[in-house]
Amino acid sequence: MGELHAEARSSGLVPLAGTVPPGFVRVGGVGVPVWPDGASPSLLEEYQIAGAPVERAGETRRVLACCLRMCWADLDAEPWPGVVAAVDDVLACYRTMVGRTDDSVRSWAVGALRRLHDTGWIVLVGDGTLRLGPRCVLWTADGHAQLRELMRRIAAPAGETTPVVASRDEGAEEFGDLLGAFDERRRAELVAAFVAVETAAEPVHEARFAALRDPALRRALMEMLARRGRVLLQRADSWISGYTDAYRATSLPEAERAVLALVLVHTVAIPRAEGLLGEDTWLSPHPVATEELRRRTLLPIGELEAALRALRQAGLIAQQKTSEEGAGGYVPGPQFHRLTRAARARLQEELILAAGPQTPLAVAIRDRRRRHEPAGTEETERARG
Amino acid sequence: MSEGCPTVGRVLPETLDSALSDEAVLVTYRRMFAALARDSGAVIDDPALVDIAETLFAAFAEAGEEWLTHEQMRHACRAHPVELFENRLRVLRGLGAIREVFPKPNQLRYRASFTSVVGLMFIRRMMDDGGQSEMHRLLELEDLTVAGPRTTMEQARRSADMLARAFRLWALELVTLTTGTIEELREQAPKLWGTEEIARRAQSLHTTILTRWPDLDRVCTDLRSAIYAYSDASRRAAGRLADSAGTTRNLTLLPAETWRTFAQTASRERLADVLEGFVFDAAAPWHDPGAIVRAVDEAPRPAPVRPAPPRSSLPDEGASSSLAAGPPGRFAEVAEALLGERDAVALEEVLTGDWSTIRRVLADLASADLHPEAPYRLAWSDTLTADPAGRPSWLSHGRLERTDG
Repeated sequence: MGELHAEARSSGLVPLAGTVPPGFVRVGGVGVPVWPDGASPSLLEEYQIAGAPVERAGETRRVLACCLRMCWADLDAEPWPGVVAAVDDVLACYRTMVGRTDDSVRSWAVGALRRLHDTGWIVLVGDGTLRLGPRCVLWTADGHAQLRELMRRIAAPAGETTPVVASRDEGAEEFGDLLGAFDERRRAELVAAFVAVETAAEPVHEARFAALRDPALRRALMEMLARRGRVLLQRADSWISGYTDAYRATSLPEAERAVLALVLVHTVAIPRAEGLLGEDTWLSPHPVATEELRRRTLLPIGELEAALRALRQAGLIAQQKTSEEGAGGYVPGPQFHRLTRAARARLQEELILAAGPQTPLAVAIRDRRRRHEPAGTEETERARG
Repeated sequence: MSEGCPTVGRVLPETLDSALSDEAVLVTYRRMFAALARDSGAVIDDPALVDIAETLFAAFAEAGEEWLTHEQMRHACRAHPVELFENRLRVLRGLGAIREVFPKPNQLRYRASFTSVVGLMFIRRMMDDGGQSEMHRLLELEDLTVAGPRTTMEQARRSADMLARAFRLWALELVTLTTGTIEELREQAPKLWGTEEIARRAQSLHTTILTRWPDLDRVCTDLRSAIYAYSDASRRAAGRLADSAGTTRNLTLLPAETWRTFAQTASRERLADVLEGFVFDAAAPWHDPGAIVRAVDEAPRPAPVRPAPPRSSLPDEGASSSLAAGPPGRFAEVAEALLGERDAVALEEVLTGDWSTIRRVLADLASADLHPEAPYRLAWSDTLTADPAGRPSWLSHGRLERTDG
């Protein structure tokens, strides 16, 4: 069960057949993890905590509003599943909204549509139509009210409406036994802390969340996370969640892994070797310029650019603007807050093994891995780290 | 050999860090020339002194056959204090690193010794990697030498002896470091430990000697055990560092150049292998309804036409008509009511009642008086009646008159 949740988190959405597991809602054959007690990451805003960064947020959300305007035909009902809309109608709606008709507006909007499709907010069908994606079921009733209000303000071309026929099945309650032991207030605090550590961009300070301060509540929180294949990680007085070390998968395609490794060498390994990094962390204040990456690598430029875009969208790298202190470029992104200590140590070892396989250090690392896993294959050795 | 060097008169380093790195540089110099030094004070005690020598050699290289005069040498080293420069020049001349072009009295031009420049290059390399690359070269050279047809068994024995001793000393130093503090180990070990490449070369040299001169069996056993001891010490030092690595600190143990080479030359597969088995979150941005509403509200609008100032919706006939209107409003009514049929009335008669009434009536009459179009005037006399108990308590006498308009 925890594995399925971890898989949904690392690969986006998971296909689901048969009984819907707890903590999921099945939306047209696809499993979407849901938040306990009808919560949503909207609560980050109440706590003034930044969520994961969104690529070109304003534009993407405006385009999503236009999709919603065209697909949400019956405002008395919930937005999902809605109706099928023509992509051209959505684009027309967007042009009216921003009051511009030039080609760049169109290409930006198409880019936003693709990002929304990739992240499950809409589904682009090949025939020039689209419908709302499975993630739209995560909006709460309050959210629906806000969006309904917004829909009335957006002008839209009239089009034919074909209702989307899709089923929606809720899984069993996931944390009922755990949360049931607490009164209303504590229960809400637990859920808030759960959503916060799972969705915030950076570790959240315990001063803001009773469930992080109080050891008993924290224990329950850890249990909730464990059921989703997650662990609670502490960074001084702040907390964030990460994958449990037992869950091993290779979640990135080869080209993205290669580019990410390249960014890590330039932003962490080299500054570290030159004695510029103080803290023992995989985050770095030393950006690598895109130009530098482009010039000094064997990877083809097109592949490099596409991988950089994908990594940026996932928060694995972050773009740093040129400032007075130095040139802009890429640094490791907020996801590196979520690596466990073992994962970070393993990452260091893998980099050393790759860059200096003949060095005594690499020999020592291989020796130690063999010692810890005398009869093990390479695979089980990796699983231990 | 290195302890007790005079440090009096040195400029104090600015930070502890720079003091430490200066000290590390000096340690290498002292060690390198310990075999040649006459006493422990004979080795320089400030790394800047080597800079002077280097600057001088660079200037000589540039000058070519023009050589250099004393003034030109001083000019090349103008960044350094004159006493230091003179002191250095004296030592360098004393040791023959810088000589007169022709050995004649009153010789004014000088030249530099090629040997000293090579020596300095060697020192710099030793600084960079503690002699690892020198060991590489040495092993390669020895390998070539012992394979040479003219090499005697005695030469091979000396060579094997020397190498065995070097490896033993290297190993000892590493072992001492391994039992010391982790910081010192982290700092020093990469300069000392051998790569597999060094061990491999040493083994190959050992095999060459043993194959050619089986009689050197005992010396070779010595060399072999020295190589093993060294490899073992290297592994142990690396093992201790690997165990205490933290999560990024050991990245410092590979030189920056190694990392750069890796980034530049590694194939996609080799780079990607680093992150094999690591799991990250897929992109799953959250589009909050509130944020969607905000994004729409903040949508860029086309630049608006400059708006005209607001205008009344009533028809406006211009300013000329306003004065043409007859005596307007309320004060005319008030004046007429007070005058009745009369043309004039004394104010004492009409200003009666309480003060607020009087005030209102007086204000209306004053307005009527001031309106040029209205046919009413207030005429004031110069007299004033004071009545402290009455109301009003004082009264200036005057009349309201109807004019002819």
